[in-house]
Amino acid sequence: MSGRLSGGGGFITYSAAMLILVVVAAPLVVVVALSFSELTFATFPPKGFTLVWYEKVLQDVDFRRSFVVSVCIALGATSAALMLGLPAAYALDRWDVPGSATVRTFLLSPMILPILITGLALLKFFSQAKMRDAGINLLVGHVLITLPYLVRTITVSLELVDRTLEEAAMTLGASPFRAFLKVTTPQIVPGIAAGCLFAFMISFDDYPISMWLGDAEYTPLPVYLHDSLNRIFDPSIAAMSSLMILTGVLAVVGLEKIVGLRRAMGV
Amino acid sequence: MSIASASAQIVSAAPADRRGIFRLSIGTLLLLPALAFLFFFLLVPSFTLLGSSVLTQSPSGDIGLPATLAHYDRLLFSPAYQRVVLRTLSISLWTSAISIILAYPLAMVIAYGRPALSRLTMIVVVAPLVVSVIVRCYGWQLLLGNSKSGVVNWLLASLSSSSPGLIKVMYTEWAVIIASVHVFLPLIVLPIATSLARISSFLIEAARMLGAPPWRAFLRVTLPLSAPGLTAGVTIVFALTAASFVTPQMVGGTKGSMLGILLEQQAMTVFDWPMTGAIASVMVAIALCSNAVSTWIIDFFTRRGRSQGDH
Repeated sequence: MSGRLSGGGGFITYSAAMLILVVVAAPLVVVVALSFSELTFATFPPKGFTLVWYEKVLQDVDFRRSFVVSVCIALGATSAALMLGLPAAYALDRWDVPGSATVRTFLLSPMILPILITGLALLKFFSQAKMRDAGINLLVGHVLITLPYLVRTITVSLELVDRTLEEAAMTLGASPFRAFLKVTTPQIVPGIAAGCLFAFMISFDDYPISMWLGDAEYTPLPVYLHDSLNRIFDPSIAAMSSLMILTGVLAVVGLEKIVGLRRAMGV
Repeated sequence: MSIASASAQIVSAAPADRRGIFRLSIGTLLLLPALAFLFFFLLVPSFTLLGSSVLTQSPSGDIGLPATLAHYDRLLFSPAYQRVVLRTLSISLWTSAISIILAYPLAMVIAYGRPALSRLTMIVVVAPLVVSVIVRCYGWQLLLGNSKSGVVNWLLASLSSSSPGLIKVMYTEWAVIIASVHVFLPLIVLPIATSLARISSFLIEAARMLGAPPWRAFLRVTLPLSAPGLTAGVTIVFALTAASFVTPQMVGGTKGSMLGILLEQQAMTVFDWPMTGAIASVMVAIALCSNAVSTWIIDFFTRRGRSQGDH
């Protein structure tokens, strides 16, 4: 494979790619650089090196509560989406359901609809249905945006399963359920784990759903960060952002470790 | 899991001729929770919101008959609103075009590059995808700042001996385009890389052996064969840019306002629900149309590829 990018064309491609990568990384690098600045305003260039902004952020009660809210919603939404998505993807892959192509499109449709509008439609629906618990509302909204990603990853994992092994197990006397549990499950677990991690990050980073459905008690982290941008002008904003970047980097490392980044992203 | 275990027992106990019906009902049973969830929390709310766009809001805030298209008329034909609709489309088009150009070198390195570089590119491309859009737009606020403390302006000033004029791109359409390209680039790089990785290296070697220079082999072989990935990617970029709220809100200012901003204002400040519904409908229409066009194009290329393979 490596021979396909060689000679002058290869050199140009590599140089262009590296240049673009620098630009892609720049906004994140600048934020991280600023988070260590000793200046009291978040302006460039940063000066010196200090960790006081991280200390300030980690001692901020509101930040800590938002962090807990975000983690709980992301965990809850991912598990709920898994419980809805796994049987559905399995049914589409293995059981004869009429109109399965249409059903699959419907299951993936929250990905096509603008999230901003999904959130607003839910807000209106909840207020008409007199559902006022922001925690539950946020959870429902986040299940909606994570479900299609999980259905897609699980479907891909199921398609990669070696079915002859399953048939062999059943020929040898295993019930379909036992064959699924003992033969199929081990083959799809890494793919599903990667899908869950990605779904967790989608929920953890979400703003367009949370901005409609959150309230003073349940403020997910991106909403808290967005609100803080209008009232905090010191580098603690950059420190807060850097912590979110760190979470993202950890997730990428996790995906690379579980199934490899290329497989996790379907490349 | 309890549903699956119960169903498995039923299936193994059923006589062969009745299996078809059992399989059908079990499949439906497994699908039911997800479908019911989407019905109640996606379909019903969306139709209520979009439906309100053809209704009238009374002074007391009740939404009902008479049915009217006045809100669409106002949105699409009054100059103030029309400008935002057109700007949304133009920002989305520019973002898509720039994303295509930037995506190919990255996708080629991911698909064909040396393992270490391919991995590095993959990580740098995917990492922003799992960082909140708020953080990324904050990064662009710092980079594009119109004053001397904006990173780009600071770099220019410290690199040149004379004092250059300040670049004032922040709070314009172009700031939105730049930030949108950054936000959505991974979503076009990944499908293109997938398409590229599937192209047999023999085809490109054959083109080269028959005397095609590299750029020609790229234009005549690589580019057409990666068309399905390109189409899928560019559709996502276009549709998501047209539906964005955070980017125009954080870096666009009034000069870079988009439909998403208008939607939020109508819903949260003006409380005009029919107008909100009309804006939402136009945004959904843009998303669905680009999706339909893309499905059609991908079908076209796969069919053409197959029929050419037959000859």
